[in-house]
Amino acid sequence: MKLVIDESRCKGCNLCVLVCPYGIFREGTELNSRGIVAPVLDRPERCTNCRLQALYGRMLCGVCHMICPDQAISWVEEKPFEPHRVEVEF
Amino acid sequence: MIAPDWFRGDRLPHIYCTGCGNGTIINCTLAAVEEMGWKRDETVFVSGIGCSSRAPGYILTDSLHTTHGRALAFATGVKMARPEFNVVVFTGDGDLAAIGGNHFIHACRRNVDMTVVCMNNHIYGMTGGQGSPTTPPGAISSTTPYGASEPAFDLAELAVAAGANYVARWTSYHVKELTKAITVGMQTPGLAFIEARTQCPTNYGRHNKLRTVPAMIEHLRSHAILVAKRDRLVAEGEPIPEGAFTVGELVRRNQPAMGVRR
Repeated sequence: MKLVIDESRCKGCNLCVLVCPYGIFREGTELNSRGIVAPVLDRPERCTNCRLQALYGRMLCGVCHMICPDQAISWVEEKPFEPHRVEVEF
Repeated sequence: MIAPDWFRGDRLPHIYCTGCGNGTIINCTLAAVEEMGWKRDETVFVSGIGCSSRAPGYILTDSLHTTHGRALAFATGVKMARPEFNVVVFTGDGDLAAIGGNHFIHACRRNVDMTVVCMNNHIYGMTGGQGSPTTPPGAISSTTPYGASEPAFDLAELAVAAGANYVARWTSYHVKELTKAITVGMQTPGLAFIEARTQCPTNYGRHNKLRTVPAMIEHLRSHAILVAKRDRLVAEGEPIPEGAFTVGELVRRNQPAMGVRR
């Protein structure tokens, strides 16, 4: 699974930056085509949902998904799936 | 996006300001609706007037956008005419507490079987930030430029006193707990009242030194104390911190309800 921010919906409130326990969301610096500074993703493969959602078959943490007032955060299937090494900091 | 088949994707992005908590409350409510497994044909969303009451416009079910403060009266009518429907009322603090206060206490007294989600942002957000009955003392709004001098309404305690079967209060920061509270409220027969304190950075935070969205969320988070902690502080005789509000399940009881599906 891959974490994506839908930039056509995001309004740049940075609530995901506040709540993500892994610090995956970082405040953006550049305006996008709608004039909004959307957050950027810092190594999104660390996200627990990206790594383990297929294994558990359900939504795991998902706090950013839940708190996003603009329904902009979602996970999409990655195809083809490529296994890669993930380093998780605790 | 939570519950993608319940959202009207063509209406998004919605009109709420950057960082408005109402979108979060819609997410939580739809997650609870999805958990309940309700059918779209048997669910009705009712709302009054205000920012919060725009919410049913983004949900793909039958909905009523009614006159100011009268959402509960219309919802009572829906429930009496078609008791098999699941009724959810979205309302704001100005809608529910100010102009619809009488409808609110009587809906609680009658214990009509529906779920009321109140998005309490402490202000009349849509009309320009006038003080509402829930504006905390000392808060600056466009009608209280020297700070609100009146005590604020505690809507959850009011619902407890008026006789609602399930009353809970959470904030838009506590998304998981809020979803759980709404689910329990939907399962409980009788009126379930869930007060969700939300942030309004545009019209409330801007005048009260909480200009950014994270600052408002942090304010909500740090001023929320659990009901159990409040009870412990009261039992130990310690003072409750100033400006704090209780969060959690305030009451769950089984009084006779009206309009319950047989």
